[in-house]
Amino acid sequence: MQSILFWSAVTLYALATVAWFAWAAFGRKWGAGAGTALLALGLLPHAGSLAMRWIEVGHGPYNTRYEVISADTFILVAVWLVASMVARGLRGLGVFVAPSAFLLMGWAVSTFELKREVPIIFKSWWLVMHIGFAKLFFASILLAACCAAAWLIKERKPSALASLPSREKLDLYAHQFMIVSFLFLGVMIAAGALWAHQSWGRYWGWDPIETSALVTWIVFGIVLHFRVLHRWSGRRMAWLTFVALGFAVVTIFVVAILVPTIHNSYMVGS
Amino acid sequence: MSRLVSLLRSPRLVLAVIAFLAVWTGVGAWAPWMQPEGPPPPPWAVAVGLAHPFTSWPFLVVVALLFASTLACTWGRRARTLAIRRGELPPSATRLPPRAADLRAFLASEGFRGEGEVLTRFGPALWGGWVLHVGLLVLIAAVLVQHALSDSGTFDLSEGERASLAAHGTVFGREKGPLAPDALPDLDVALVRFDPFRKQHGYSSDRLSELEVSGRGVAARTETIDRAAGIRAGDVEIFQAIPSGMALTLDVPGMGMRTVRLQPEGPRRAAAEVTSPSGEPMRLVVDSESDLGGPAGPGKLLVWMESRGTRRALMPGSPFPFGVGEARVLGMGRWGRFTYTRTPGLWGVFAGFAMILAGCTLLAFPAGVARLGRPGETAAAVVFTIRGGSALAAEWERAGPPA
Repeated sequence: MQSILFWSAVTLYALATVAWFAWAAFGRKWGAGAGTALLALGLLPHAGSLAMRWIEVGHGPYNTRYEVISADTFILVAVWLVASMVARGLRGLGVFVAPSAFLLMGWAVSTFELKREVPIIFKSWWLVMHIGFAKLFFASILLAACCAAAWLIKERKPSALASLPSREKLDLYAHQFMIVSFLFLGVMIAAGALWAHQSWGRYWGWDPIETSALVTWIVFGIVLHFRVLHRWSGRRMAWLTFVALGFAVVTIFVVAILVPTIHNSYMVGS
Repeated sequence: MSRLVSLLRSPRLVLAVIAFLAVWTGVGAWAPWMQPEGPPPPPWAVAVGLAHPFTSWPFLVVVALLFASTLACTWGRRARTLAIRRGELPPSATRLPPRAADLRAFLASEGFRGEGEVLTRFGPALWGGWVLHVGLLVLIAAVLVQHALSDSGTFDLSEGERASLAAHGTVFGREKGPLAPDALPDLDVALVRFDPFRKQHGYSSDRLSELEVSGRGVAARTETIDRAAGIRAGDVEIFQAIPSGMALTLDVPGMGMRTVRLQPEGPRRAAAEVTSPSGEPMRLVVDSESDLGGPAGPGKLLVWMESRGTRRALMPGSPFPFGVGEARVLGMGRWGRFTYTRTPGLWGVFAGFAMILAGCTLLAFPAGVARLGRPGETAAAVVFTIRGGSALAAEWERAGPPA
């Protein structure tokens, strides 16, 4: 049943990708509506598959690559849906969100069968905060990068992605998402520090992911200072947003996979 | 003085300081010699301070510079924010030219509220930057104070063993800041029960201890401790650490009961070097039928004493020569490792964190102040926004033709 729900979600995300492609490439207006509906619909079986895994293994989606990536994807789609309800102009970002969700699910399924118990140090509410905000951080910086990508596309071809808002608005939304992701990353780091203190009596240990998260937070600070102090916007900020996304991806995925760290368990894939 | 403040507030210096910290932190944490069992640092790394990146002078100097720069940026910010709230907007504010459109209605649609000349949007959020910067100052100061006052150390206990942390030889691996007290915590601890493979529902098997703690100002009590959370006794917190192993309890003539903690020498062997009361070096060895660290238990155990090239099997209760007299093996159990910490000032670190996050939260709101144009001004309104000034101007441009 869990597998059926997971594959239903993957199928709906794939169909949403096709619909959004029809909208972006061929100007089919139905594509945006259908793509949004399919992505929203996909959240239902996706939530079901996550809940079933949670019940089966007895812990939240924070151990093994499948659980983490699948939950990250769920949060990404959910955050985009909520954001597009608050600001209608963001709905067009579905053209980036749908293929991202489909590809991430493809990565997640590679370790679908792997199930692991969690260590006792995971018995903490700070862990829930730490991981919850890590997922929100990833979703919000990815959406900031989507806004930046849309800005660059519209700069090259102003008539492209017609139902997305103006470039000024996209620049503003990218800034907004980046501020929010800076906050979420800060909460993630602080909750992780509190968790570490609860378990080990120290709030900081210069673990590779801890350090990488701190460096990412500092880099976000630099990018935001370029905005505020130097009034940078437009193309330069779009590229800097991609740089920020790169740091986020390295922190969340690359370090956990390649470097020995106390965080290895959440991306374990074999 | 004002030149120094201007220098500290200059965007280039601010960005240079932050960029240095990002690069130094990244290099420092990722350098091969910083990894467990990594190579020794090369001479150039020692020369520039990267051998100990987070206590080296370049790092501490730049952190001090960050503190000074943040202080300079924060200084006067409160007055500037109050002035903005009154409608005294900086030159960088967006000027909306007159257009054939209802300006108040447009500003209202953009979230600006107010009756008079000055309208605000998410007014309290204008303080976001100030709160964030003050939080950063609090965090840096609190981390320095906390590090200066912190004190931590490690101790091992065998099942049934009681020890005083203040006694000589109990605590090892002590790390303390320059302002921390020299005296060890006045605390007695006893390991009542220790299970290295305790299964708790939903989690993999792990250590679980029952510790009795007592001391000056600390009423004697027994508490359960695992690796998820420590226990507090007065100003001391005690945490369960990972290392554990087999322990032998001996009855030594003239010394009473003594516990020997053995270190693993292989999956099925643990040993300890001891010195008999007469000064003779010996080795106590335990061989097991199954893995010593396996949750199923070690199975049948054999205890040996090695001395001067000979090996002798030890039986529980039977005497064996140990220095000038005879000792007996009373029993066998496990030992566990614990750490203690004293962290006065930690609340300041978390207060700094909380202020930074509160500032970030406020910054997430697109705060702004709009002042309607005054007689003689060419602009219909002057608008200061935390962000999105150009988007607002573009929206106004679409609101109607020039007036």
